[in-house]
Formats: sequence, C-alpha cells, structure tokens
Amino acid sequence: MRITTAAFGLMAAITMVSTAQADKLDDIVGSGTLRCAVVLDFPPMGSRDASNNPVGFDVDYCNDLAKALGVTAEIVETPFPERIPALMSGRVDVGVASTSDTLERARTVGMTIPYFAFEMAVTANEKTGIKSFEDMKGKVVGATAGTFEAIALEKQVKAWGGGEFRPYQTQADVFLALSQGQLDATVSTSTVAQANVKTGKFPGIAVVGKAPFDIDYVALFTNREEYGLINFLNLFINQQVRTGRYAELYEKWVGGDLPSLTVNGVYR
Amino acid sequence: MFKYSFQWNQALKALPQMLDGALVTMQIALLSMAIGLVVAIILTLFRLSGSRLLRGFAVAWVEIARNTPALFQIYMAHFGLGSFGIHLSPFTSLLAGIAFNNAGYLAENFRGALKAIPDTQARAGRSLGMTSLQAFRLIVVPQMLRIAFLPITNQMVWAILMTSLGVTVGMNTDLAGVTQALNARTFRTFEFFALAAVIYYLIAKVVTLAARLIASRLFRY
Repeated sequence: MRITTAAFGLMAAITMVSTAQADKLDDIVGSGTLRCAVVLDFPPMGSRDASNNPVGFDVDYCNDLAKALGVTAEIVETPFPERIPALMSGRVDVGVASTSDTLERARTVGMTIPYFAFEMAVTANEKTGIKSFEDMKGKVVGATAGTFEAIALEKQVKAWGGGEFRPYQTQADVFLALSQGQLDATVSTSTVAQANVKTGKFPGIAVVGKAPFDIDYVALFTNREEYGLINFLNLFINQQVRTGRYAELYEKWVGGDLPSLTVNGVYR
Repeated sequence: MFKYSFQWNQALKALPQMLDGALVTMQIALLSMAIGLVVAIILTLFRLSGSRLLRGFAVAWVEIARNTPALFQIYMAHFGLGSFGIHLSPFTSLLAGIAFNNAGYLAENFRGALKAIPDTQARAGRSLGMTSLQAFRLIVVPQMLRIAFLPITNQMVWAILMTSLGVTVGMNTDLAGVTQALNARTFRTFEFFALAAVIYYLIAKVVTLAARLIASRLFRY
C-alpha cells in the first residue's frame, strides 16, 4: 500500500516535472500544428492567389518548416504591425514574416539567423522626374509603416531636412498613393517593387534605381526565451540553403541573382 | 500563455514624443469640431429652408456621414479624392474626414434640439418686431446650443478618438501615428499601446470634465 502510494506520488512528480520542461518545440510537435505569422500583403513574399489561398515565398517556407517538424502548417495572416501581439498572445508559434533583424527589436523577440535578404530600390512616379535616390531630397516620399526601409527612409528625410515622409499601413496603399501622385517616390525592397510594377495595377510608376541602404537581412522570430526552437530554426535555415531549397524557392518567387545570407569577416 | 516581460522604462523614455503627438491629436480634434459646428449649423439651416435642393443636400450629407464608417470617410478623403487628382496631405485628409463626420452628427443633434424648442418662441420673437433671422439667431440658436451642449461634448470625445484612424492615410505625427512608429522600431507593442490608451483616456476625461464645468457656469438659471 505504502509502496503504491509512493509510486503514484513519484509518477505524478515525474509527469509534473516533464510538463514543466516542455518547451515550445515540444508544444508544436505535440499539437501537430505549426502556426506561422505571414504577411499576405507583401508579394512576392506573401499574398493571396485568385482563389484566395495564401501563396508566396514565406508561405512555402512555412510549409517546409512544418514538414521538417513533422506537423501540418497553418498560415495565420498577420499585418506588419500585428506580428508581435500575435506572437505574444499565443496566436502564432513562429513569424515567417520578412522581419528585419534589428538589434532594437531583438531586445523584445528572439531572432534566428537570416533566411532571406532584400536590396532596396527606389520607385518613383514618372511625372516627378526622379531618376535616383538623391533626387528624392525635398520630395514627398513614403513607405510601408513598420518596415526596415520605412525606418531608414524617415531617418534620411530628417537628415536631408525638408521634404516629407509618410508611412502607410500596407504596401498596396503605398503604391496606390504613388500611382495617384500623392507620393513622389518610395523605397521598398526591390523584389516587392518589381512585383508591384509588373501587376499593372499602378500605372505611371517605375523602378528608377537602388537605394543605398544596408542590405536588409530578415529573420524568423519567436519568443526570446525559446532557445530550443530558435536552435531548430537556425538549423532549418542552414539546411534550406544547403539542400538547394532556398535557391529553388528564390527562383520560383523572385528570380535573378540569389542573395547571399552570410556576412564576410564575422561569426554569427 | 502570455510570455512577455514589460519594460516600462523603454516606453516612458518615449513619453515626451507621445505627448507631442497628443497635442497634434488635440489640435485636429478641436479644428474638426470648429469646422463641424459651423457646417452643422449651415446644414440645419438648409434643412429648414424651402429649397428642395438645399434640403436634399443636407439630408444626403447627414445620411452619408452617419451611416458609413469614419474610417471609410477618412480613407475616401485621401485616396478617393486622390484618384481625381485632388491631393490632400494626411493631416488635411484626416481633418476633412472627421469634420465631415462631425458635421453630419451635429446637424442631427441640432435637429433634435430644434424640435425641443416650441414654435411659439420664434413666433413670440416675431411679434416683438424681430425679423425671422433675428428670432432664429437670438432666440432659437442659444436654446438649441444649450440643449445640444452635452451631445456636442460627446462628439468632441468621439472626434479625439477618431483621430487615431489617421494612421491609415499616412499620418505619423498624431498620438496613434507616433505610437505606431515607436512600436515598429522597437516591437514593444504592449507598453506603447497601453501608454497611448492611458493618454487618450486622460484627454477624453479632461474634455468631459471641462465641458461639465462650462455647462454648470453657462446654464445657470
């Protein structure tokens, strides 16, 4: 009798300890579903096809990640400003949302190694005669609120002194405002710029050149303290490149020269 | 479930910036109320006029302003007019959108207030030798404003809260815009938004208390 009680007690203790140790990686594997925050207003990284299904680089990347974890993927549409609330309130497990890995943000969330890299391009309304980044000085410029390029451009406008910076909530609004002439020019990732100009939905705009901002490395993110999961994600990103899947997805959604994800002369 | 450590000092460091934003918010709300009040009185006059055209115009304004979302009205002032080549800055679009909304609601408040003033009052004024405009201006309007005073306060609070919709048209200097920008840069969503909520609450509270004070001063019998 005593022994059984003790055995039960021990078992209960073990169960409790093991539940206490279950981390997010365990939770995902256990639940059988990986919930990814993906921005679906950001072609070619994320958008919806004609039958309203999510498609894009980030969507495929999430599906690959789910496959690697042996679970099914669930794409949770998340606008840029809502990425962190979605993560913190437990609505998503991982952000696959073209998130720039700035140090200021890394104080709040946990960033992986880069999984994609953007170059910045200037897109202008043809009537303004803007031909380069420097021509934007003193003009009305804008970008998608909360993105790497918006933060950099706002700083640049302040440094130039004069002109105006306007952040819009979605990438589509930026190109609409640009096409209408409310904005003279915008800086966006070159992939996004080309994809939007190509749609023909925004007449009178053209990609006119590169913006001399740093390369925008973007990372997957999750809760800062989930080392187990971050560790897995880092290895996953490494494997995507190693197996050629990264190149394959890049060719499928973007095309052209594959951006390098490494920085010379330093360890990560 | 909620894994997040609050770092209030990060948010408090940005407080001066947010308070500057709150000033812009107040500025827009006050301007939009001033414009809204004037337009609402004009709309009320239109409604009382004999002209079917003017009445129709006033009714259409009130109908659209009251039965469509404020977000839509502000968006239309920016991107809707923009597609016709009329370019308003984010500040002006936001102001125009809220003023449009205010005018619609206030005109309806005034109509209700007018209904509460017996016709005999204007007629009494007329029999004392006032012109109809004098009777309206000196006898009806003061009573109308008194009856409509608290609904006007309500609309003022509503105008303050509506300014937060400016972020959809690229507004980045008001309280919501500043908060949004800080959030994007640091990802400290909860601190900044909580702080912004408190500031909005305090502004709205101050406005209602001030209105109550003014009312007790003005409307003593």
